[in-house]
Amino acid sequence: MPAIPQSVEAEPLVQVRDLHARLGGKSVFDGLTLEVPRGSITAIMGPSGTGKTTLLRHITGQLRADSGGVRVAGEDVARLSRNALFALREKIGFLFQNSALLTDFNVFENIAFPLRQHAKLPEVLIRNIVLTKLQAVGLRGAARLMPSELSGGMARRVALARAIVFDPMLILYDEPFVGLDPIALNQVLRLIRTLNRTLGITSILVAHELAAIRQVADRVYLIANGKLVAQGAPDDLAHQDSPWTRQFFGGEADGPVPFHYPAPDYASDLGFAR
Amino acid sequence: MNAVVHRNWFVNGIAQVGACGLFFIDILLALPRSLRHFRETCRQVWFVGAMSLVIVMTCGLFVGMVLALQLYYTLSIFGGTAALGTVVALSLFRELGPVVTALLFAGRAGTAVTAEIGLMRATDQIDAMEMMAVDPIAYVIAPRYLAGVVAMPLLMCLFNALGILGGHLVGVTWLGVDNGTFWGNMTSTVDLWKDIIDGVWKSLAFGAVVTLIAVYQGYNAPPTSEGVAYSTTRTVVFSAIVILAVDFVMTAFLT
Repeated sequence: MPAIPQSVEAEPLVQVRDLHARLGGKSVFDGLTLEVPRGSITAIMGPSGTGKTTLLRHITGQLRADSGGVRVAGEDVARLSRNALFALREKIGFLFQNSALLTDFNVFENIAFPLRQHAKLPEVLIRNIVLTKLQAVGLRGAARLMPSELSGGMARRVALARAIVFDPMLILYDEPFVGLDPIALNQVLRLIRTLNRTLGITSILVAHELAAIRQVADRVYLIANGKLVAQGAPDDLAHQDSPWTRQFFGGEADGPVPFHYPAPDYASDLGFAR
Repeated sequence: MNAVVHRNWFVNGIAQVGACGLFFIDILLALPRSLRHFRETCRQVWFVGAMSLVIVMTCGLFVGMVLALQLYYTLSIFGGTAALGTVVALSLFRELGPVVTALLFAGRAGTAVTAEIGLMRATDQIDAMEMMAVDPIAYVIAPRYLAGVVAMPLLMCLFNALGILGGHLVGVTWLGVDNGTFWGNMTSTVDLWKDIIDGVWKSLAFGAVVTLIAVYQGYNAPPTSEGVAYSTTRTVVFSAIVILAVDFVMTAFLT
């Protein structure tokens, strides 16, 4: 295997540069810049509706920026041809919030699906790879179950097994802890950490659960109003003295993120003359 | 204000037709790649074709029976009941077979395809395929499209066969038309190319437009329960309008 040049290895795996983007006529990113180092677990946090999932879709090339851009492994995602983009996506795993398992297939076939589509492998080898991935997420015994027979936590783990079936260089987790009981949450948490530590997979995590983020993330980016408003190690960030971190990590109802959605003057809306 | 609303409605309508045309080109380009998923195409032929057999065959039988009853009454006024088999067959082959089969197909298979693809979109399965570097047009859309185009003429043939059987039951068994006259007049008058094959062309065209509408509506359904329901309804409404419009145009050219 050819050695990776030192400069490439040192380069961050994901670089978001001055990203400006609109969605449905509304500005989502207004000059967002951040970097994700190789081999790290990076958490993206921020108020609801601030564009965290949208950022993941920019990283995977599902959405195009108005200006600025995203580079993954040195490649400008927006400039890639469809074939080149698909080739890049084979190296990226994506864990959807609702798992997005194919409902017509059982657990085994869901994990075998990308292998069958992209790799001309003998059936015995496909079976072994799938069972290895299922063993890694603790669900080898559930190989014949249909997605409708899985609990939320199990579905999330199956989706994770599918996301790592090609041993990707990068995994994007979209709200992986939502709706999980403490046991399932810890199982997913442990898997994220294990995949990162043992396989060196770079991970980007969109989540709101600070306690969970503190256990796994090396770095946290806090996004609000389309910009990066704070960044740092999880423990440091929670103690930073900025209005954004105070409100977000303190759970304050009002602050830089206002309690009230922008509206006309209350009295005039009620019909009282001023 | 009204002029603006009408203009927006008109412009949106044209834009939708344009988007549907581009989607059709995407499907055509993906068809060669979709042949890799031959098993999926066969599964879809079963799903949209075989699963529609009961409704198509039952309706074909009753349409044939009603046709025989109505035409026997009309023909008897002119003393021409001997032509019953011919008239039933021509009505079915040239017009009712392709049109009614297409309307039934839109209601049974078209809605199912729209709802299935719409729900795949709403539950992120389409996005998941894109993220796994699998082209959903080649894997999901093209096999369903091909299946619809293949299944429609086959269903129409069965509809026609059951329709003629229904016409025979009523005309010969019930109303007493001579069996030899019924079949003899029919086989001597009906032309393979002019009547039967023209009906097959119509059926192929209906299969192409109805399935296109169904997959387009499903693929572009808003990812909500209301959005999927709305798209499913639109599949039936648009299909019915397009079937009758295309039928008029094709009849004008083929006659």
